[in-house]
This record gives sequence, structure tokens and C-alpha cells, in this order.
Amino acid sequence: MSSQIHKIHQQLVDKDITCMQLVQNRLEALKQNTHNTVNALLDETALDLAAKVDAKIANGETIGLLEGIPFGIKDVYMVQGTYTTASSNLLKYYKSAYTATAIQKLLDAGAIPLVKENCDSFGHGSSSENTIFGAVKNAINPELVGGGSSGGSAVNVAKDYTVFSIGGDTGGSIRQPAGYNNVYGLKPTYGRVSRYGIMAYASSTDCVGPIAKSIEDIRIVLNVISGQDVKDQTTYTSEDISKESTLNAEGIKTVGYFKNFIENDAIDPQIKSDFLASIEKIKSKGIAVKALDFFESNTLVSTYYTLAMAETASNLSRLDGTNYGNRIEAENLKETYAVTRSENFSEESKRRIVGGNQVLSQGFSDEIYLKGLNLRDQIIENFEDDFNKVDIILSPVTPSTPPKIGDSLKDPLAMYLSDAYTVGFSLGQLPTLTIPQGTATGLQITAAKTNDELVLKFANFLKDTI
Amino acid sequence: MTVDVLSSIKGAQPSETVNKLFEVIKNANTANNNAFNTNHNNAVSLDNLRDDVVIDSSAIEKQIIIENFPKEKNGYLVVSKVIEE
Repeated sequence: MSSQIHKIHQQLVDKDITCMQLVQNRLEALKQNTHNTVNALLDETALDLAAKVDAKIANGETIGLLEGIPFGIKDVYMVQGTYTTASSNLLKYYKSAYTATAIQKLLDAGAIPLVKENCDSFGHGSSSENTIFGAVKNAINPELVGGGSSGGSAVNVAKDYTVFSIGGDTGGSIRQPAGYNNVYGLKPTYGRVSRYGIMAYASSTDCVGPIAKSIEDIRIVLNVISGQDVKDQTTYTSEDISKESTLNAEGIKTVGYFKNFIENDAIDPQIKSDFLASIEKIKSKGIAVKALDFFESNTLVSTYYTLAMAETASNLSRLDGTNYGNRIEAENLKETYAVTRSENFSEESKRRIVGGNQVLSQGFSDEIYLKGLNLRDQIIENFEDDFNKVDIILSPVTPSTPPKIGDSLKDPLAMYLSDAYTVGFSLGQLPTLTIPQGTATGLQITAAKTNDELVLKFANFLKDTI
Repeated sequence: MTVDVLSSIKGAQPSETVNKLFEVIKNANTANNNAFNTNHNNAVSLDNLRDDVVIDSSAIEKQIIIENFPKEKNGYLVVSKVIEE
């Protein structure tokens, strides 16, 4: 699909539509939708901003490319004055006191926020069923899950309720729902986009990124939200990616894929054969393809969850009902903390917090947590070696098609293992894009750290190739 | 300390599912036992630290923070205290 942002921008400039009509239509569609994608509508702000854009156009003033473009925000981002629930009971009535850097940059560029979007509570899940707002239903087949944790965001984009949405990706939470709903979703290089104002899940892999219907829209939004930020000292300075540079993939000579992702019993046979067919098409264009060795899925998933649980146990320890949140009084302070947390966290969040405290506790940290860090180092070194041999790594997004609503909650281990193809790139902090092509749940394109541009180049190449 | 106390979650028990993940880590081969994220940290350079200055929050930020406070006593916001035991 071509860029929705350019198309709508032109319609606004040519006065084919008013911004007010555009925003009203999208808000109405969101209000009526039955996919459970909405935690809160930002209708008042959105309509105010739309009126301002219309006034500017009526005065003959020039508008920026993102001015008046409606977008959605996963409900883990701070937007001053809005409820930011993380789809949890604990923060059901929590109001953001400030605005996340990435969101502020979009607001400064004139984009209009429409909705805080449903997701797995605190990002804890791969299906957007772990939420107090009802399971997100898949855009293509509403009996299936919308994917997660940024499920509401991916479904809103797929259904054209938002032009783009800002998701969050810790272990695949942008890429997997993008794949499940046939849209594009980018996890940029860790540090390219500031994490200031996203509710922390696992700080060493949390990434802010766009979900959209075209590569060009991903590029536009990425350029706006990227950049060094003193409020997140893991950020780095990056150059804007030009449209022209993403249209030429001549520099890409070698593509790799992980043998063990494809040659195992867990992968759906159709996804396997579709992936291999895509590889053949790439070869036919004169690109060399290398099969690479990689860590077993079990090791990747276990390393990721060990570290993510440790980090989330630490990050969520602040949620005790003292400064904010749904405090439940008990006989003394310690009991108040315990009852507040026990009653308000979901089963999945509790499982992860307890797991995290387990690995961080005395006697376990050497055996599990430090060993997990060591494995992560090895995984990163493996990637560094790989990118000396290949320009791009191509993978399926998931081993299987989306499960039915209800199935993931019954079998958490199966849910964790379904992240096998996404978590490795999170541990490596690598730029990875899901494209809605190649298999039923798409393909992932990964490049070396900070080379987000190459990912977009190869996505454009594949658009015409497979 | 048990995990329910560490987690401040009543009756919390280690999960069998999560233990299966930990077993994989315990049995995995690691290159050596001393590596501690030595080469791949994201620490900020000393030249790039943010200024050590206090930045006052805006009036609206302060107002929302107060609004979010669950408990007030005699006109004061109730904050946590250090538990010594």
C-alpha cells in the first residue's frame, strides 16, 4: 500500500476533506468498533486540534506533513492529562502528569492523537488478552487474538481507525501483532527513540516504534520520533532517513536466515514452505543467501524471559499504591502494599514479578540471572559475527498463525515459546521490521545495530520481489 | 526471604511454567562464568551526562501528581516510610 500520510496530507492541502471530518470519522469508527482496541478516546483534544489545522489551511498557511494526521497510542505512554492505565486495574484511574518524548515530538509535528490503545497489561503478554478492557480481536478474523502486547495498536492500523500507531516492543510486542494483522511494525535499534514516558517493562530491551500500512509511513514517523534525549541516557543521535535512500537496495548482496528457525518441528509447515519460497525469490534476484547457525529457540526464549522478568520485578516494585494507583488499605503499611499488589496485578503480571524476584534473590542470581546475562552476551556476539557475513537477516515473525482467543491464557508456556523468533533480536537490540508479506504472519527483516535504514531499503526491495 | 515477601504479593509461589524456563538456563553452556555484560552496555559517556540542575515541574504536572495521590491526611499527602525490621 502507498503512504497514507502523503495521501491524507494532500487531501487536506487540496481541501478535499477537512481535518474535522477526518478526525470525526476516525473517532466514530473507533467508538463503534467491536475489536476492543480502545482504552480511552481523546476526542475533545483531537477535535480541538483538528479545528486548529482547518483554521490554518483556511488562512492559506502551509501545514507540515504530519499536521492533522490522526494516530493512536498504546496505553503505556504518558500523555499529560490522559488516563494511562497499562490496561491494568492498578492504574485504572492513573492520569499522566507529563508527556512521553516520542509522543511530544509527534504532537509538535502536528499529528493528532485519537486513542489510548488496548494492550497486554504492562506489556506482559503476546496476545492482548491480559487486559482489563477485554481481549483484542484480530483485524482479519475476530475469533483469533490480535497479538500482543501492542494488539490494539496493530488492529487499529489494520482497520484504518488510525493512520499509524505508536506501539512498544520489548520482546516482539510491535512485530508480532503487526504480523498477526498484516501491517508493518518496526522495532528500531534500541536507543534510537527515547523511552522517556513509556511505562518500563524490561528497560534493557524496551523500544518505542511505529505501526503503519506502508514502509514510507514507517519512515516518516521514525524520523520524527528518533533522536538523543537527555531524559533517556541510552539514546543516541541518528540521522534522518531519506525517502530516496530507502528506494535503492543495490548495496544488499547477502541475506542470511537461521537454519534452526526453519528446520524444527514447532514451525507450521505452511509458514515454513512460504518462508523457503520467499528465500528462493530473493535468490532469483541475484542475492546470495546463507543459512546461519543460531541458538535454540528454548535458549532464546528462556534467556529473554529470565532477564525481562528480573527487570519487570524491579521496575514494577514502585507500584505499591502509595504515590498513585488503586490503593487498598489493610491493617498496616506492609499489608497495604501486599494487598494492593495482590488484588490489582493480573495473574500473568504476578507470574513475571515472582519469577523475576526468584532469579534476583540470593542463591539464584548466579545460577540463573548472571548466566542469563552471559548467554545474552553470547547471543550479541553471534549477531556481530553474522553481520560480518550477511547484510540482512530474514526470519518468519512467528512459528504459527494467531491462536484462538482464550488459548494463550490456558497455556502460558506455549505463549512464551511463540515469541521464539522475535526475542533474539530484542536481546541484540537490533532494528527489525515486520512486513506483511512472505508468510501468513509476515517476515522480519533485521540489520546490524543502528542500521535501521538498511531494513527499510530491503523492505522496499521485497515489496517488489515477493 | 520467600518470593511472596520479596514480591509483596500474598501467597505467591514460584510458577512451574517459569521454572521450566529457568531450567533451560541452568543447563545451558556459558562461555565462562565471569562475563557480566562487559562489552555491550549502554552506559552514557561521562562527557554526555545531563546537567546536574533541579528542574521545577510545571503547575499542571504538580496538580496531576497531587490528584493521583491515593491518600491524604489533615491536608497532607501520605507517603511511605522506611520499614526497619
